[in-house]
Amino acid sequence: MRNDTDEKLLDAARKIVSQCDRCGTCLPACPLFDVNSVEASSARGKNVIARALAEGGIEPTPEALAKVNFCLLCRSCVDICPSKIATDDAMIHIRQYLVNKTEAANTRYKAIGGILKSRGMVRLAAGSLSLLRKLGLNGVFPHGMVPEEYTRAHFLAAFAGPAALAGQAPPSGAAVTASTRVAYFEGCGMRMMFPEAAAETLNLLKAGTKPLVKDNVCCGLPHLAHGLRGEFLELARKNIEIYEDADAVVCDCASCGGTLKHLASYFADDPQWKDRAAAFSRKVMDLTEYLAKAGYTPRQRVDATFTYHDPCHLSRGQGIRKQPRDLLKAAGDFVEMKEADLCCGGAGSFHMDYPGIASKILDRKMASIEKTGAAIVVTGCPGCLIQLAKAAKASGGRFKAMHISQVI
Amino acid sequence: MMTDDLKKKIRDIVGAENALDADLDRFGYSYDASFVPLFPANKPELVVRPATTQEVSKIMAVAHAHGIPVTPRGAASGRTGGSIPLQGGISMSLERMTKILELDVNTMMVWAEAGVRTIDLYNACAAKGLFYPPDPASWKFSTIGGNVAENAGGMRAVKYGVTSNYVMGLEVVLADGTVLLTGGKAIKNVTGYNLTSLFTGSEGTLGIITKALLRLIPMPKKRGTLQLMFRTLDDGCATIHRILQSGLLPAAAEIMDRFCLEAVAKHRKTQHDPAVGCCVIVEIDGEDDAALDTQARRMEAVAKECGVYQFRVAQSQQESDELWAIRRGLSSAIASLVPNRLGEDISVPRDAFPEVVRRIGAIAERHKLTIAVYGHAGDGNIHPSILCDLSKPGEEERVHRAVEELFDATLAVGGTLSGEHGIGITKRPYIAKALGEAGVKALAAVKQALDPKGILNPGKIW
Repeated sequence: MRNDTDEKLLDAARKIVSQCDRCGTCLPACPLFDVNSVEASSARGKNVIARALAEGGIEPTPEALAKVNFCLLCRSCVDICPSKIATDDAMIHIRQYLVNKTEAANTRYKAIGGILKSRGMVRLAAGSLSLLRKLGLNGVFPHGMVPEEYTRAHFLAAFAGPAALAGQAPPSGAAVTASTRVAYFEGCGMRMMFPEAAAETLNLLKAGTKPLVKDNVCCGLPHLAHGLRGEFLELARKNIEIYEDADAVVCDCASCGGTLKHLASYFADDPQWKDRAAAFSRKVMDLTEYLAKAGYTPRQRVDATFTYHDPCHLSRGQGIRKQPRDLLKAAGDFVEMKEADLCCGGAGSFHMDYPGIASKILDRKMASIEKTGAAIVVTGCPGCLIQLAKAAKASGGRFKAMHISQVI
Repeated sequence: MMTDDLKKKIRDIVGAENALDADLDRFGYSYDASFVPLFPANKPELVVRPATTQEVSKIMAVAHAHGIPVTPRGAASGRTGGSIPLQGGISMSLERMTKILELDVNTMMVWAEAGVRTIDLYNACAAKGLFYPPDPASWKFSTIGGNVAENAGGMRAVKYGVTSNYVMGLEVVLADGTVLLTGGKAIKNVTGYNLTSLFTGSEGTLGIITKALLRLIPMPKKRGTLQLMFRTLDDGCATIHRILQSGLLPAAAEIMDRFCLEAVAKHRKTQHDPAVGCCVIVEIDGEDDAALDTQARRMEAVAKECGVYQFRVAQSQQESDELWAIRRGLSSAIASLVPNRLGEDISVPRDAFPEVVRRIGAIAERHKLTIAVYGHAGDGNIHPSILCDLSKPGEEERVHRAVEELFDATLAVGGTLSGEHGIGITKRPYIAKALGEAGVKALAAVKQALDPKGILNPGKIW
């Protein structure tokens, strides 16, 4: 027997995937299908599985869950689809349904979700990932996952000469009105993996305004994406409350930003939270979006060539492609790479779940980066940055990977 | 029923990772882009993904010895169920055979494996200044093997013909595993029966096409796009007819009716001008801008005589690309508006185009159905789409009658059931009407000679 929640989830998925006429346009766009060319890996394949679950024909089993979990949620298929079928949304609904039905063996995601739900645990993780291993969670954060962080200090030393290190960068004089109350949303990935880049984001905000100090919780995407919707909603409500007094909520993580901008749709039938969620979502901005609005110009121009990797959740997720490029063009030389908006294979915890596939996807990205001859690949998402840092290492130092906050 | 022992034999040929038998994996190979219902699922017992002709040959030898049905498959972008494994057995998916083996600029021919995507072949040839013209709407994801097996058409057929006009030779694995080479690079070749033509469009029922030798032509230097808007579908049809009569030859001439335009507008969140009832998109090509300009002006003059509502020359490559993207995405955009869509693929002599379009309108009215009309007006190939909701009581019966009448009208004006999609499963019931008893018997005799056990793509065409 399906209960009400299950029916709603299936109905939401069915509304999306029943629009698919299986034409196949999405096949070449899917990075996963590119790697293994098995139908069930493609967007079409997963949409048809979703449809069969919703309309009858396929039973809700752990095997079905494994199939729909094998998705980057990168939206490449949505972009190219003649009917703009939101495969990512459908996958999220179906994953939730299958987790409910199978009382899933998703212990791994529950463990990750549990850590990210607690601010204390995220702080601990930021302090020492090795501690997590001691706590027996090394399966969740495997060795070698913690990337090497290339810092702004390294960057300036290498590309700007010693003079630039002499003192604090001068304020940019960004035109932000005194009345705009700006707050930073520090995502878990930034906090745990790239604290230096997170600090630079805060510096950028401080250059033009006095940001409100907030202690936010996880955006909830890891929970939402893996069938832990209850936790996602709980986190969302907390964040909405935390930022009630801010006018602008600035994210330097594409995935957090994308998630927070879409919160409203998850509270559409909750009279108590509907309006508050919508008001919150309207305030969310990506860092580059905010800087462009504030008229910010980079603190220095360096003798370095940048290329830019579009995070899925920033380019296709939020339509932000121009702002980061404009900033980079003002901060140094800029070369566009081939397939800049193709997923890097990071995709949340995908690269931990399917390291082999993720590394094949990354190989294609690495080749594109190397072809540009750029010294630094810049991006705006810690998930991507983990992957790009791996690529930088694999390239034997031919390029570095940095967060945009560190180079502008 | 395939025993574990048989599956093991096949696994030993292609490797375990290329012989899939998990339930959900098999489900992925049970459908294509046709309106054949998903359930009950036509799952193969084993999905086999060979990488070489030798592997295909060995698989066929096993299948032949044990009487296992084999259905070849490319990207499963077909519209008539051609790659659906109706009787289970093996789904022979050729997506790993993706090599362009030889691009011979001296003879202007190319050998490509079956799994090469049409767009990849086009781009590889274009890089050498050579042109592979066939461009089915699916050209960005469909494969050469599928294009040849279905004898795919496309937008450029009016000037450049269809896939079969470019196939010079084939490598085919026969039902018993024998590898056969047909044709060759000699332009004139009348040695024996024309087997190349026989296998082209055979829908996987006579052999597995593993490689194709394709003829190329010099790439046109310049291309342009025109957009013509008309008040009525009749005006649009008449204009194309007059353009062709006046000695002009567009590279493509695509027509869309009011419903299509409304679907596009809805899809792109734009407003449709209610005065416009028909749109024609034309591609012209030639040596230089002056040649394009002359063609465009002559077409404009004809269109004005026929009462064109609006005539526009695309001003940039981006604008051209956008117009063609609308056309290529039309089928899916229309499908997404209704619960069910039955897309047909009739083809008529090109001077009968206006007449058959009028008859389609009358059929729609008679059965109180919406039939969206779009297609390749220049070559007489139309895709009437019956938009319906088969869950409504009585609807299925009315749709069925409308389809019957549609085919009757097509045959009455000298046309045929399918222009470029093939017969597959969906048009099978009507083939005797089109070919006659003698025609069907001749097909059966050929089939019997090449596949006496009937293991290749059983249940298709007739």
